[in-house]
Amino acid sequence: MTTAHGPLIGVSAPRRKNLELLAGKATYVADIGLEGQAYARVVRSSSAHARLLGVDCSDALRVPGVLDVITAADIDDIRIPIRLPFAESPEANRALQAPLARDVVRYVGEPVAVVVATDPYVAEDAAELVLVDLEEMDPVVDTATAGEPGRPRLHSSLGSNTVNQLAFRYGDIDAAFAEADIVVRRRLRVHRLAAAPMETRGLVADYDRNSGVLTLWGGAKVKHFTRSLLARVLGLEPDKVRVVEVEVGGGFGTRGEPYPEDVLIAWLARRLERPVQWIEDRWEHMVATNHAREQEHDIELAATAEGQMLGFRVRGWCDHGAYIRTQGLLPVVLPMLHMPGPYQWQAFSMDLDAVLTNRTPVGTYRGPGMTEATFVRERMVDILAAELHMDPADLRRRNLIPAESMPFVFNPGPGSSGVMPIAYQSGDFVESFDEMLAAADYHELRAGRQRARSRDGKAGVGMAVYIEFAAVGPFEEVDIICDGRGVTVRAGVGSVGQGVETALAQIAAELLGAELEDVSVEFHDTAEIPQGFGAFASRSTVLVGNAIAAAVNEIRIKSAELLGCGPDGIELHRGNATGPDGRTVPLAELGGVRGRFDKDGLTASFGGAVCSASVDPADGRVRLDRFLVAHDVGRAVNPRLLRGQLAGAASQGIGGALFEELAYDDNGQPLSVTLADYMMPTAAELTPVDLAVIEHGSPSNPLGIKGGGEAGMVGSLGAVVNAVADAIGDGADLLSSSVSPARVWRALNHQSSLDGAGRPAMET
Amino acid sequence: MAGWLAPDESVAVNLTVNGEARQAHAPPRRTLADALREEGFTSVHLGCEHGVCGACTVLIDGAPVRSCLMLAVQGRGHAIETVESLCDGDDLGALQQAFDDNDALQCGFCTPGFLMLIEGFLRLEPEASRQQIVEAVSSNLCRCTGAVGIVQAALDFQSTRRRSP
Repeated sequence: MTTAHGPLIGVSAPRRKNLELLAGKATYVADIGLEGQAYARVVRSSSAHARLLGVDCSDALRVPGVLDVITAADIDDIRIPIRLPFAESPEANRALQAPLARDVVRYVGEPVAVVVATDPYVAEDAAELVLVDLEEMDPVVDTATAGEPGRPRLHSSLGSNTVNQLAFRYGDIDAAFAEADIVVRRRLRVHRLAAAPMETRGLVADYDRNSGVLTLWGGAKVKHFTRSLLARVLGLEPDKVRVVEVEVGGGFGTRGEPYPEDVLIAWLARRLERPVQWIEDRWEHMVATNHAREQEHDIELAATAEGQMLGFRVRGWCDHGAYIRTQGLLPVVLPMLHMPGPYQWQAFSMDLDAVLTNRTPVGTYRGPGMTEATFVRERMVDILAAELHMDPADLRRRNLIPAESMPFVFNPGPGSSGVMPIAYQSGDFVESFDEMLAAADYHELRAGRQRARSRDGKAGVGMAVYIEFAAVGPFEEVDIICDGRGVTVRAGVGSVGQGVETALAQIAAELLGAELEDVSVEFHDTAEIPQGFGAFASRSTVLVGNAIAAAVNEIRIKSAELLGCGPDGIELHRGNATGPDGRTVPLAELGGVRGRFDKDGLTASFGGAVCSASVDPADGRVRLDRFLVAHDVGRAVNPRLLRGQLAGAASQGIGGALFEELAYDDNGQPLSVTLADYMMPTAAELTPVDLAVIEHGSPSNPLGIKGGGEAGMVGSLGAVVNAVADAIGDGADLLSSSVSPARVWRALNHQSSLDGAGRPAMET
Repeated sequence: MAGWLAPDESVAVNLTVNGEARQAHAPPRRTLADALREEGFTSVHLGCEHGVCGACTVLIDGAPVRSCLMLAVQGRGHAIETVESLCDGDDLGALQQAFDDNDALQCGFCTPGFLMLIEGFLRLEPEASRQQIVEAVSSNLCRCTGAVGIVQAALDFQSTRRRSP
């Protein structure tokens, strides 16, 4: 295909938006100030589990400037539904969250009332005066035992705190274990983490009585779902609700799902008939926005003495917090889907329970489920390698699914429940694995480790490999409008700071023979975009990119009809279609053209991370000397943006392993509610992330693209913990995905990195 | 100053922002960050409001300061600079350009704070070593990029400024 510039797909075009962001001119939701705007403050539960005996708003209502205070009694008795109904259960649907707590509060931070005032400081003052009468109940704060009989129940309509039990049986698991020379068993814990974007959540809602239109600014990610939800709960027609995206300060999976506040702020704007703004503060963010990761797994892995991995059994508990939110049971579905990974198992047996505890609800955070499962599996592979005295790389390589077995499927056998087949369409895992080791200079890393050890240093090398499932359907649509000024692409995804608009413009410009700067991509306003599913599961470039390709095919067909030739003979160049006879039709004459890409199933990509680390025995501090991410992206649309995504995700994962943790005490009180407690890594701790971008085109879509936005995260916990365990040596039994200085210090002193029921001892 | 103020009674706060005198009015408890935002300087971003993330960093008399930890009334009589002052008309200034060149931003929310932090730090310490620059950059948080590009942007800007101060 020829264009003014030659190909644009695969070129590192500069990111759009940067000028505005660097000049400080971008508009985030907190920057919106409408005429007559009022300010909301949410009153939240201070208790993890308590009967809500009453809420007294009278003092708050007397504060000058307060416009309204609402509680559950003021609004309809609704629940926020599940958006992604995978493995949905009746129990899960009985644990949905109401926008404001009714009768019982179930986590610290649960919304109980909302105060609206003419000034945000006044709203905050008045919120302090709302008296919430609570009668304490015993909280449930331990993941592995939450579902056991006799535990306090979070929801009285449920028989227990277990909301679903998934089972996956593949092959003859008893035969695999009978054949084994060695079985390793551990309980592993994945600690609670937060995406923690630098911008907290925020919303502005406005209701126009004349037109009857309710507008919500600040929705991102899944705008069309939010629109339908708001229309339903507010009793409006969907075309009377607009959800508008503004600049977003980081998404990472947590921002933009409809939360209680989306309903409340929209409802208040309609009730008060004036604009209402709510900006989450950081304390609220740490207790109100979805948490992630918290799980425990009892896992046993069977192998031969030569290092053939035969099978594994896993019994796991995945915490969903106090309520099932819009992402439904993904916190249990996704770990199951990703647990087998890239290995050729004879058999496995997985039982994963979705449980509820009195903590902030759990949702998805970049690399959801796959990061947890990869840690669990890859940690066990390293434990097995240590037992067998094998190089962990050799052990992995000999067990990878060979290229000649592709496509490959693990089909659920008898006794399975609530699961779908795990299918890998393509890829050469062994070749990709060797590319990763070569890029990391693995043998030199191992040699450096030996040199450090000969000087009594504590140095280690660790890795993790994985399969990432991404690019979920069902479909996306785009409209392409060509006019005298250029090309407009309207799509239903969202920009969450990842730069997707640049990559999509490149695809459109190349396929249309347009100048890159003449293409604009619009996705901000549901009023202008027919429909869309949103920005998650690394799907935007894959789904919308291919919908653009479909629309361009339609443009070729339409212009061929006008020119009386076949669509293949059409050349598209700078707004014109030219037939083989040289006759030309301007694309502006075609009007808007719609393209749609339907996608069944998920796209699987192979990837991995390699890490070398050293440990300071004096204080348990870990230094990463090298970190490399390898990932098969199918085809890199914009290598520079892709590298930014991979390195950024890896840095988040490194922080998660080394420093970050959302800790709770035994009463369910959160201990990480400021950025001084939830310690994210800075320039002083982070190391440059090296990248090996593998391009084995995907057969699942015409452009051959796979997901790339999350991959850098997936191997991070596993690789870092394996490297630290290798550095400590002496069979260091690191069983938590956190290798904070305190945990490393305990391991150095031969204490468990878990305590008691598997929860970590408090960091002191 | 005579007598007590009613709660949230505004007082005159004469601020000098980017060289321009502004007659602002704010209650005494208003943070400098909020007052600047109300004056239209929405490049001052609030990421935590407890002095950790540094997204609200501005320069006060040339030194980087977290404006969420200062009251607006404390800004009286001081020269305040925000990221708007770094632009060269409609063009980016050299430090902003270095950020663009080094992929030192993604979502952009932390960016104005980092720009002011580095601008202020290198004005105070023009000959800072790489290690000192890393330490200074580690005052603020970036969740998207991994911060390595930000350090490189600071180093590039330092050499640019050395060549043409």
